[in-house]
Amino acid sequence: MLLKLGSMLAVVAAWFGLSLLLPGTVLPGPWQTLNVLIENVADGQVHQHLLATLGRVAGGLALAMAVGVPVGIIMGLNRFAEKTLDIWVMVALTVPSLCYAILAFIWIGLNETAAIVAIGLTSAPSIAINLWEGVKNIDTRLFKMAKVFNASRWVIVRRVLFPQVLPYIMASLRFGLGIVWKITVLVELLGRPDGVGFQLFYWYQLANMGQVLAWTLLFTLVMLFIELVILQRLERRLFAWRPEVRL
Amino acid sequence: MTQEATDNGILVEGLIKEFPGQRVLDGLDLAVADGEFVCLLGPSGCGKSTLLNILSGLDSDYRGTVRFGGRAMAPGGKPPLTIGYLFQEPRLLPWLSAERNVDFALENSRVPRSRWGDIKDRYFALTGLQPFRDYYPHELSGGMAQRLSLVRALAIEPDVLFMDEPFSGLDELTARRLRVDLLDIWRETGKTILFITHNSYEATFLGDRVVVLSQGGIHNQISVDVPRPRDYDDAALFQVGKTVSATFIEAAEAAERARARGTRSSH
Repeated sequence: MLLKLGSMLAVVAAWFGLSLLLPGTVLPGPWQTLNVLIENVADGQVHQHLLATLGRVAGGLALAMAVGVPVGIIMGLNRFAEKTLDIWVMVALTVPSLCYAILAFIWIGLNETAAIVAIGLTSAPSIAINLWEGVKNIDTRLFKMAKVFNASRWVIVRRVLFPQVLPYIMASLRFGLGIVWKITVLVELLGRPDGVGFQLFYWYQLANMGQVLAWTLLFTLVMLFIELVILQRLERRLFAWRPEVRL
Repeated sequence: MTQEATDNGILVEGLIKEFPGQRVLDGLDLAVADGEFVCLLGPSGCGKSTLLNILSGLDSDYRGTVRFGGRAMAPGGKPPLTIGYLFQEPRLLPWLSAERNVDFALENSRVPRSRWGDIKDRYFALTGLQPFRDYYPHELSGGMAQRLSLVRALAIEPDVLFMDEPFSGLDELTARRLRVDLLDIWRETGKTILFITHNSYEATFLGDRVVVLSQGGIHNQISVDVPRPRDYDDAALFQVGKTVSATFIEAAEAAERARARGTRSSH
């Protein structure tokens, strides 16, 4: 924890040092950026855009998990599914996220559904791959044990398979969140009238570096909060039984 | 009928199991009396594990008959009585505490919930695991984990215990203690036990009878007429052990010769 704090301070210090050398229009310092951010919050504009973005992140992540998790699990458990699907997962992974966004906006329209579909479909292949690799590591000998002790198929899925897959689902949730964030901003820039991505693009067009950095900073802080405070705690609680929690 | 229901002997007749291109069990006949402790000894690939898979209902694709106390296998190859199973590794669910691991087996058993508490108290005490009920498997030593899997196997009140080389992964000192404990528990509960091992002296120390398997059938069997409780350093036991060991080596060599012949003739 102390190490983390120290390295953060070092980066802020480097930012500050660099901002002294460069003109304010190119790289505003940490204090100026923070001030812009605080003014934005005081204006009452921030929460509306932030909520719009967070909603898309949540929707996109939910869709990505809903598609990616079952595909990944089935591929990890079933050789036939693995052989038939792996090429398509690779193809889906290779398609640039911009293509998904453009296609979704053209086919579905410039609306919220299209944004979430674009975000979800872009991230689903990565989540599927993540889970597919993970599920290959589960201990199948425990299935035989459960069978010998008369557990039904449903009990085996729920009490022997699921707890083993859960760590990989959690890992892919965190991993997926990282991808979804980035795509959401891109999608907003392309076809939405609000959100952090829209704001970034707006201030980019006005060449206002202070605002661009302020929105980036906001975005990073919220992301860190979700990652460090919510997800890591959840994971620690869920996997208390493990010899050591993997962070 | 009631008399039959209390008989937990095992009768296997003409058991044949084939995998593609290989006959693993070749007309095996085996009878285990109710309450008898029989050790199966054999080289790897002799069909020991296959036999246990069939008897415990994991594999229903075979020819021949299997009866428990005169009762045939239930539809789907399920045994008509309760089986307790010990694997070579503990095979505990790592996300459940020791006690919850036992509960997992109880939840899928016929034992009424009202008796779980007493049963668990009894077997946790019997195996010395009473202070470790809340420990997770990774906090237990190898010997303790295997004891816990013994508690799990006993808690469901099995009519028959199947043990598949349960002590082979432990150090010799721990294994010795567990063998003595197992015999104590066996004396107290009178269960029918089928114990697979590749250790001749373990088989001799534990069993009423040692059945040496080879090439999918019985190579020979040796009665261990040494009175119980037995002592590791008993000279009489050691003598029987030597015979068992010699028979085991004979069986392994016969299997090797047969394999060599088979390889030659297939080319």
